[in-house]
Amino acid sequence: MSRGLAQRMLRRHWRGGELRLLAAALLLAITTVTGISLFVDRLERALVLEASAFLAADRRIEGREVPPEAWEGQAQALGLATARTVGFTSMAFSDLDALLVSVQAVSPTYPLRGALKTASDPLAPGDVTTDTPAPGTLWAAPRVLLSLGLEVGATLDLGAASLRIDRVLTDTPDQGGNFLLAPRVLMALSDVAKTQVLRPGARVEHALLLAGEGAALAAFEAQLPADFEARFDLEDVRTGNRSLGRALDRAERFLRLGGLMAVLLASLAVALAAARYAAQQADAVAVMKTLGASSGTIRRLYLGQLFQLGLMVTVLALGLAYGVQAVLFELLSAYVPVALPAPGWVPWVLGTLTGWLCLLAFALPPLLELETVTPVRVLRRDLAQASRKGPLYRGLGLLALLGLLFAYAGSAQLAGWVLLGLGGTSAFFAALAFVLLRSGRVLGMQAGRAWRLGLAALSRRQGASIVQMLVFGTALMLLLTLSVLRSSLLDSWRAQLPEGAPNHFVLNLDSEDRQAFQHALDAQGVAPQPAFPMTRGRITAVNGETLDPKASRAAARLTEERNLSWSGPLPEGNEVVAGQWWDAAGAAPGLSLEADFAENVGLALGDRVTLEVGDQRFDLPLVALRRVAWDSLRPNFFLLLSPGLLEDRDATYLTSFFLPAERQKALPTLLRAFPSVSIIAVDGLIAQLQQIVARVSIAVEVVLFLVLGAGALVLLASIQSTMDERLREYGLLRALGGSRQRLQGALVVEFATLGTFAGLLAALGAELMIWAMETQLFGLPAQSHGILWLLGPVLGVALVLTLGLLATRKVVSVPPLTVLREHGA
Amino acid sequence: MESDRPVILSARNLGKRLALGGEQLAILTGIDLEIKAGDSVALVGASGSGKTTLLGLLAGLDTPTEGEVRFAGQPFSGESEDRRAALRAEGIAFVFQNFQLLAALTALENVMIPLELAGREAPEALARSYLERVGLGDRARHTPRQLSGGEQQRVALARAFAAQPKLLFADEPTGNLDQATGQRIADLLFALNAEAQTTLVLVTHDPALAARCDRALRVEGGQLHPEQDATS
Repeated sequence: MSRGLAQRMLRRHWRGGELRLLAAALLLAITTVTGISLFVDRLERALVLEASAFLAADRRIEGREVPPEAWEGQAQALGLATARTVGFTSMAFSDLDALLVSVQAVSPTYPLRGALKTASDPLAPGDVTTDTPAPGTLWAAPRVLLSLGLEVGATLDLGAASLRIDRVLTDTPDQGGNFLLAPRVLMALSDVAKTQVLRPGARVEHALLLAGEGAALAAFEAQLPADFEARFDLEDVRTGNRSLGRALDRAERFLRLGGLMAVLLASLAVALAAARYAAQQADAVAVMKTLGASSGTIRRLYLGQLFQLGLMVTVLALGLAYGVQAVLFELLSAYVPVALPAPGWVPWVLGTLTGWLCLLAFALPPLLELETVTPVRVLRRDLAQASRKGPLYRGLGLLALLGLLFAYAGSAQLAGWVLLGLGGTSAFFAALAFVLLRSGRVLGMQAGRAWRLGLAALSRRQGASIVQMLVFGTALMLLLTLSVLRSSLLDSWRAQLPEGAPNHFVLNLDSEDRQAFQHALDAQGVAPQPAFPMTRGRITAVNGETLDPKASRAAARLTEERNLSWSGPLPEGNEVVAGQWWDAAGAAPGLSLEADFAENVGLALGDRVTLEVGDQRFDLPLVALRRVAWDSLRPNFFLLLSPGLLEDRDATYLTSFFLPAERQKALPTLLRAFPSVSIIAVDGLIAQLQQIVARVSIAVEVVLFLVLGAGALVLLASIQSTMDERLREYGLLRALGGSRQRLQGALVVEFATLGTFAGLLAALGAELMIWAMETQLFGLPAQSHGILWLLGPVLGVALVLTLGLLATRKVVSVPPLTVLREHGA
Repeated sequence: MESDRPVILSARNLGKRLALGGEQLAILTGIDLEIKAGDSVALVGASGSGKTTLLGLLAGLDTPTEGEVRFAGQPFSGESEDRRAALRAEGIAFVFQNFQLLAALTALENVMIPLELAGREAPEALARSYLERVGLGDRARHTPRQLSGGEQQRVALARAFAAQPKLLFADEPTGNLDQATGQRIADLLFALNAEAQTTLVLVTHDPALAARCDRALRVEGGQLHPEQDATS
């Protein structure tokens, strides 16, 4: 019986509009959560795939010794793809000239991620290839050919081997953020022995590259021996490229935060809509009980409705979510033509689960309370329903909400901050709103003037007004927080890769050539950038103890020959995190290291470090540890010396410049004029980073848009919840002779006041929440956002007024008699 | 018209008190009442006399603070709410002053509710036949909002009689209607009642309506008195 009735009531209530808001809120909850999860899931896969190109693999095991054969076998047994590389620097000789090159010898499966690009001419753009150099041949970067005056087909000597230049290597995926001193040469791994350059003591990096499913990679990592870390480094996308790693981390946090807020808002909307539906149903339940319906029948009736509604909405929402993310990715693929992996199953389950949790936790309690409505209500409506289960269900709802929060946040920290922000500001809001509304004692309806009528209405519905202000305030706060964080995030990315950032680095610039080179740049209309003196040196001893590179990986890393520089002032983008930077004049000589590097090799402030630069030897105290902005593509140094120790003539210079794409033809001219100078183009790297940022920015915008939709729905649900009372009151006023204009005016005053207060509260809450998020979660500098105090109230008034007047237009348009007949009893 | 018809509804020492600001307010006290099957009884009294409260107690919509109500020889007022609902579904129907139709459902669906709740066979055909009997066969698909007050009360009458109840409670059934419409509704109510031989308990303050019942009882000061000129 009750199934038929449930179906009929569901249909009728749907048509009557009573269930539409609940359905819309639920639809939005599931669509948003599934959509965001699908989007983030696919985006993550795509981004990791793309970012993995920087490593040419998903994981890279790198060391001074050859990674054991057995590991490669294990990896393949787990279904992972493998490749091997050997990297070293060597002089390359043509018949007439020589050049230091960075050699990468690769197995035929290289690269596992990303692609190589080659051309047949040094000045031609490259095409993607899946080949690797055949034995006996090599591929060389354009600069090798230009510097040595060679063409494709010529022979180049590397150590004892003579290899034919088969192609021009224009692009390798793993050139990375640490740009190379020497231009790159790619050769077959099987030819390495022939070169005879791998003598003991030679600086060689052996790498085993791995790619495959996350689970297989994790299983492989679990099998690595205990002494692994002493002998090898394991790199993944995040450790392999710091600037990208930071960008990805922040993006992921932001998207998760967006998902979190969408869930919160949608839950709020579901709860409000369900509460209103239940309130509207109380009379119907009383009638049905009078006609003989038991509590069980009522329960089954409304559970049946809810279940059927949930089922239909879920199917619709999942379809919608798929469509939404498919369209998004279609739009995105125009930006970056990368094959997008299909989404996993997790988002579907997560979205469905969220929807039903939302339904059970927030929509079920008020509907279950309907079974406690007493039939005597048909005679005397003022008899309130007795509710015994309310607190229990609300408690369960709150628990479910907490569970959801933590599931989405994926980090207790993120969820904790959101909860703290919400809880704290809500309590504060409630207290403040209470005081604000309490301040004026109100007599009667104050119907004499529109503004007094409006304010009196707010004050009369004190409880509902406080709740509404809280709801508006919370929704606005989340929206403001998210949109400000979004711009902070995008700004930080834009600052990382500003328009016109240097896209070429110049190395090996002699001090004699410096002036001439600047003139040559001027002649091309290219603005010069600061130049850094640079030389190479190595640390040989710490606190008087000589280091043995074979003793440990840390010692090996410490004693590597490195680029170093010196500077009086602290270079831009550097921040001293421990110790003291030397002041311009009169300070004792000292040494400064990058903080992470110092930690990795086990050096601390005050250690005395022995440094060899050419034939000079320095014994210097470690006086400052620096944090370096790796996000920027500026020249950065692990090792910096105080000025006055090394002379300019000891150094070559490192500088950079920005050359627009259309003026690339100037490069060969420059290279020919300064044959000893190395120019490294990083525009490919910048373009790659910019593409990733562009994608993530779109994702961020989409998330904001979805959350905005959820917020609007909450506002609507909240206004609807006091609709009946408003209709009744204003219907009566109109019947008693209140003009339409006056009532409209009163509504404007009511909603504008509500919007202003909600906006102010939202601005305050958002300011606090943003401060916590920026400093605690995103690692951005704290800043005040004055705009919030304008944006909050303006947005509050605009949104609340628009939605409020739209939702209550019935109040002034429907004839008062109809209003009183339907809502007056 | 003394007869051996069974007593269908009885109240003994029935009372209702409300706690109001720490004080007990007696609304009804010491009500004794017997109604035989087929009787029609009017409960009259001034506004606020407690006649609607009495109707609520007699119909098991509310519970008394003292005394008891028996329906068809079975204990009624002391039972659980669900048990009382089940007994109502089997044999009690209502007509209210403000009609109490479910706004979301059509006229036909409103008439079907008690039939479905009682698990009757073919509820739709039965409901349709009763709608025709109240002259609304062509308005079956209309919702209450599309019906006039008189039409809504006719739907309520169809809903009440379609359930073929033993006992019908009517609470000011013409109270929300103009005189002419009220008159037609009253005629319809008594016609259907006579035909179905239902026991009728009618709450009204309209002496003319009360006069159409077999007897009238006056609720005054929370107690029940026989009306002097009940039957004519």
